[in-house]
Amino acid sequence: MRIKKGFAILLAVMLLLTAGCATGDDEQKNEFPTKSIDMTVLFGAGGAADVIGRKLADGASKELGQPIVANVRTGGGGAVGYQYVLGTDPDGHSIVWNSTSISVTYHQGNMPAGQDYSAFRGVAKITEEASALAVKADAPWKDLKEFVEYAKANPGEVTVANSGVGSFNHLTAVAIEDALGVEFKHIPLDSKESVTAVLGGRADAMVNMAFDAIPQVEAGEMRALGIVGTERLEVMPDVPTMQEEGYDVDLLMWRGIAVPKDTPDEVVLELQEAFLKSANSKEFKDFAEKYSVTVAPTTGAEFDEYMAEQDEMIADIMEKIGLKKQ
Amino acid sequence: MFELFTEGLTIAFTVENFIFMFLGSVLGIVFSAIPALTFSTALILLIPLTFSLTPVAAISVLLGVFAGGMTGGSISSVLLGIPGTPSAAATVIDGYLLAKKGQAGKTLGMSIYSSVFGGIFSLLVLILVAPQIARVAIKFGSPELFALVVFGLSTIVGLSESSVVKGLLAGLFGLLLTTVGLDPVMGLQRYTFGYVNLMTGIGLMPVMIGMFALPEVIDNFLMASENRNKPYEKNKQKVKASFPNWQEMKSTFGLNLKSSAIGTFVGAIPGTGGPIASFLAYDMAKRKNPKVGTGEIDGVAAPESANNAVTGGALIPLFTLGIPGDSATAILLGALLIHGLVPGPLLFTDNGPLVYAIFISILVINVMVLFIQFFGMKVFVKVLDIPKVNLMAMILVMSVVGSYAVNLNYMDVFVMFLAGLLGYMMKRTGFPVTPLILGLVLGYTIENNLRKSLIYSDGSFSIFLTSPVSLVFLILAVLMLVAPTLRLWLKNRKVKKVLQG
Repeated sequence: MRIKKGFAILLAVMLLLTAGCATGDDEQKNEFPTKSIDMTVLFGAGGAADVIGRKLADGASKELGQPIVANVRTGGGGAVGYQYVLGTDPDGHSIVWNSTSISVTYHQGNMPAGQDYSAFRGVAKITEEASALAVKADAPWKDLKEFVEYAKANPGEVTVANSGVGSFNHLTAVAIEDALGVEFKHIPLDSKESVTAVLGGRADAMVNMAFDAIPQVEAGEMRALGIVGTERLEVMPDVPTMQEEGYDVDLLMWRGIAVPKDTPDEVVLELQEAFLKSANSKEFKDFAEKYSVTVAPTTGAEFDEYMAEQDEMIADIMEKIGLKKQ
Repeated sequence: MFELFTEGLTIAFTVENFIFMFLGSVLGIVFSAIPALTFSTALILLIPLTFSLTPVAAISVLLGVFAGGMTGGSISSVLLGIPGTPSAAATVIDGYLLAKKGQAGKTLGMSIYSSVFGGIFSLLVLILVAPQIARVAIKFGSPELFALVVFGLSTIVGLSESSVVKGLLAGLFGLLLTTVGLDPVMGLQRYTFGYVNLMTGIGLMPVMIGMFALPEVIDNFLMASENRNKPYEKNKQKVKASFPNWQEMKSTFGLNLKSSAIGTFVGAIPGTGGPIASFLAYDMAKRKNPKVGTGEIDGVAAPESANNAVTGGALIPLFTLGIPGDSATAILLGALLIHGLVPGPLLFTDNGPLVYAIFISILVINVMVLFIQFFGMKVFVKVLDIPKVNLMAMILVMSVVGSYAVNLNYMDVFVMFLAGLLGYMMKRTGFPVTPLILGLVLGYTIENNLRKSLIYSDGSFSIFLTSPVSLVFLILAVLMLVAPTLRLWLKNRKVKKVLQG
């Protein structure tokens, strides 16, 4: 019994001491960041978005002198994570690894009215990802021209797999459809299922991130017909971009760091400096290359403008296919 | 092949790798043995740490967690009646009954043996016929997956303990729960009542933790308060851990072989995973031995060899096509990419020796898991010596922490408590819990693939009949449902004939 009492007293003393330390710490430093930073990742642990985000955070935390902890908060196409970040104090200690999903999930009606991209403030845009239209290697269409001809002759017959209704790849497929003047039959799957559907002969083509198409194209299992992006991809220099072929499609999947709108300027600038430094490091660029992701950093202010521009484009496409709810 | 093998051997056999394999296996076993923590959590926690390791070491530690995790789940299934991971949910039924009969040690021994059996079997399949299996697995599109999962659901009949009606009701309720959240195809909100946190849906982990753990906690607390004034009686029954003898190994060989085959194949089909495989194997065992369900060692061997066989199976599409077979291999895919290895058709040509190094590592990991578990089991069974009330208090705390840790979402803690209360009421009224869990495991996959199939076919249900694979599984599912009634009818007819004759 006596031992137990002694133990309890010891515990109480330790508790007081730790509490004391915690407050003492706060008083000493008033400069941002005063504690570790919580970075919300919106998509599955171990996925490309998660891993690249962690690598980026790793570099930025060295600049800031405080750890940045990546926490995966998935659900609702990003809505769960966005809502979490918007519910925290706008003091820069809670940031989000933002992406095109902010526009999609908002217009789909999964965020409260008014809480679209503008509820956030850009810290820095970091990456851009191209996507590709690909068919099975033994498909009868050798290039985009033959594919378009066939699709025009058989409207609604060509099945095109994408990564789910309202997914970035679906919207891209719709944009391609529009620019090519054809009509596809869209099959909403996911990025990996799209690959098996094309290889298994269940879908004629897929619109997928370059990252998912490249290994199949390199192995000779698939043929890429066109790239949706600003320039050709290094790994498949023979495949033209849609724009080269005269089709006006330029949707890019972007990612960047954002914070709630009311975060003060000096904090945003501090974060911006750290994240841009991390993004521009050779280490990060080499890392991103493995995922076929282009590092294209911009400042927070430019990022805000970019988000607004992209949001308009996505809203337009979603309106066309009846997915826009707000 | 021999050259690749020796090259792989030199890469894999380093002290560093052995340490990481060992650490991974221990971590996997511990995380999945503790109810409410899963090895997926361990994998996620490890990803950033693998950044700085060599490729083989990084993969080794993750594979160790994966393989160790698949075996560790059975520890708490057997000892506490709470599945350590969803893949070990089927193991609870017979495992816990056996433990109550005082055979915890023997049951754990069998589960370890079966686990390692499944792990090594699937590894051999992976090494020898991966491309061939992948070619079959790729033929599994939405209609085929739908039919396979419906077949899986029909095993509810076998899981229903006393009343098939109560089992089916519980299963249906599980299916109903999966409709909460964003729908899998259109992304529309269902039953979310405007709560953002419900968009993710009702999680399998919190429900499973709640349903299995809380009723035990409540029962034990009630019992303890009744026995408050009695002195504590130490568990006199000595629990001794024992590995199956030669005879027992031989008698379960066929069952383990079949279960491993089921596990490997289910694992190889993207979009399935451990829970489905273990339930299918459990059902197979039950059809062979009707006593399964009343505390039979077969009911432990089958799901355990099947869920471990998933490890090798799930690597088949990952290595040959670059497509992960389940959520754990999805994390592995990330780890491979970090180190510049692109899983897919070119992995073998570009990185042959490394692939063989990974194969060899998996073999070593399986042997390590066997040893760790064999010696660990003697420690694990000591859990039963802790006064039940104290143990349950710990489990209660773990349940809260664990359900929060899955998604860092407080909603899951509420879900866990609600599921626990519901589970307690179900237990009191004779409703089996396992069918509900099965419904929850399969519901999303069923709906998702049903609706995608109908998009392929422009709304025509004939797509399920024109695909031979889907047709076969659907017929099997119907047979499973009517089999008990049919058997009864045939029996009655025979009796009548005898009487008439």
